[in-house]
Amino acid sequence: MLKIDVTLISGRTSGQGSGLEIGKTSDDYFGNVALIEIGAEDAESLGVEDGDPVEVATSHGSVVVQARVGRGLDPGMAFFPYGPWANQVFGSETEGTGMPSYKGIEATIERADGKGIPSLVELVEGFREGS
Amino acid sequence: MAVYRDVVCPFCGCLCDDIEVTVEGNEIVGTRNACAISRSKFMNHSANKIESPTVDGKAVALMEAVDAAAEVLVLANRPLVYGLSSTECEAIGRAVELAELTGGVVDNTSSVCHGPTILALQQVGESKTTLGEVKNRADLIIFWGSNPTEAHLRHIIRYSVMPKGLYTPEGRKSRYVVAVDIRETRMARVADQFLKIEPGKDFELLLALRAVVRGAKLQAEEVAGVPREEIDGLARRMKGAKMGIIFFGLGLTQSDGKHMNVDAAVGLVAELNHHTKFLLTPMRGHYNVAGANTVTTWQTGYPYAVDFARGYPRYNPGEYTAVDLLAKGEADAAIIVASDPGATFPADAVRNMARIPVVTLDQKVTPTTMLSKIVIPVATVGVEAEGTAYRMDGVPLRMKKVVEPHEGVLPDAKVLKMIVDRVRTLKEVD
Repeated sequence: MLKIDVTLISGRTSGQGSGLEIGKTSDDYFGNVALIEIGAEDAESLGVEDGDPVEVATSHGSVVVQARVGRGLDPGMAFFPYGPWANQVFGSETEGTGMPSYKGIEATIERADGKGIPSLVELVEGFREGS
Repeated sequence: MAVYRDVVCPFCGCLCDDIEVTVEGNEIVGTRNACAISRSKFMNHSANKIESPTVDGKAVALMEAVDAAAEVLVLANRPLVYGLSSTECEAIGRAVELAELTGGVVDNTSSVCHGPTILALQQVGESKTTLGEVKNRADLIIFWGSNPTEAHLRHIIRYSVMPKGLYTPEGRKSRYVVAVDIRETRMARVADQFLKIEPGKDFELLLALRAVVRGAKLQAEEVAGVPREEIDGLARRMKGAKMGIIFFGLGLTQSDGKHMNVDAAVGLVAELNHHTKFLLTPMRGHYNVAGANTVTTWQTGYPYAVDFARGYPRYNPGEYTAVDLLAKGEADAAIIVASDPGATFPADAVRNMARIPVVTLDQKVTPTTMLSKIVIPVATVGVEAEGTAYRMDGVPLRMKKVVEPHEGVLPDAKVLKMIVDRVRTLKEVD
């Protein structure tokens, strides 16, 4: 299968926390945040392994990150560490609460063979160009 | 070589106050008792630092950056003052003053973490306690939509699961630990019981538990993917606890239902207090986000999302919250203190932020500093500057200074005071 439907949640990880304290421009932060965790069954149906590029898309946007095969995730569930890569696919509608929906949104994940993962600087350039 | 003891960690809402930091010259060379994130914060505090104040990418003197910042804020019709959760209380007070002076909006990062919790607690109240009481008395610990093994790494060691307390003499063995989550996290594996629930169904499960605690018999075979027997069993265990507590996280506030999920959790806890002592505490993320709410409430009457456009404070989350102001294109300038909305806000809000002049006070290079017109490096509170912060349970602690900041680099509070003074002068001239 080249594309799967998932429920996407985001959250903190200890790697994301340690990485941001080195600096958001660091390789450590990139390595801990520009990734999406999926369960082993979903990885198998997509035919991807740890480190392979995948494209995550929602109605708000899409981004290429590395796949990480995570423990404890059911099929159809994906976990995105907080950060600017994750925020490419979340929307800013807060339904009158001030809080966007960072957990439980519908998304698709597909293989992105040959596609590069954007760097932090490229994401920032994207914000400028889109503005 | 100097060893500083009982240093308070400036990362998460646990505010662990037992860190040892070893300093040689003006360099931190070691830490003890720190978790992985805390150690990273102390050991890497000088990595990737902003070198100098800048205006439009050009290095300038501090006073020049302060003047430019004041000018941006005075010229704006609807300036946004945002961030404030990773700095100390005096700086937060100055930020509120700046918003009042410029007729702007002041919001803090709780709007994208436990803002919905505050909305719920304002409606229905709160049954709260300190982490010390939890350590000494609580025999039933429930982590609901929170994962301390990734986000609050020493919470279970210092406060909630492992420590031996007055009435919990056997530490881990004196407590029953439950994790409620949509995935099997490390916390779920550490817990005695894991309830795996369907995404976005927290509200249903909380109401079902409340009904069972009240004596109702569930008709459904399962609620939110959790079998009836497990719900009945947990309800029994909750009623039978000597003192129970729910530590809840963004699994409740960032999912569908948001504040209503927390409302349901408070309702369950209120019901349980007819039977035993039961409490709940939000797992606050940034180390002084509780202080940001506290100080803003002292000064304006409201904890976040405060608008001064009419000269007096008005409160309306969903309208005066940072994501909404940016996403709707309302804010025409912003000053960001100790926060990185460029990395933490949805992309369309950040694209709008890239259109307006932004002033940022921070230590390190971030997406927000890259998008800012004016950047001012500041001292790291808890490492290079003192100050007060509020722990997740509302206990204030004094942060220590263990090294000197680079020459000419001042704490947030001092830089904000300089901007406030300059804004006052510009307004008098007008």
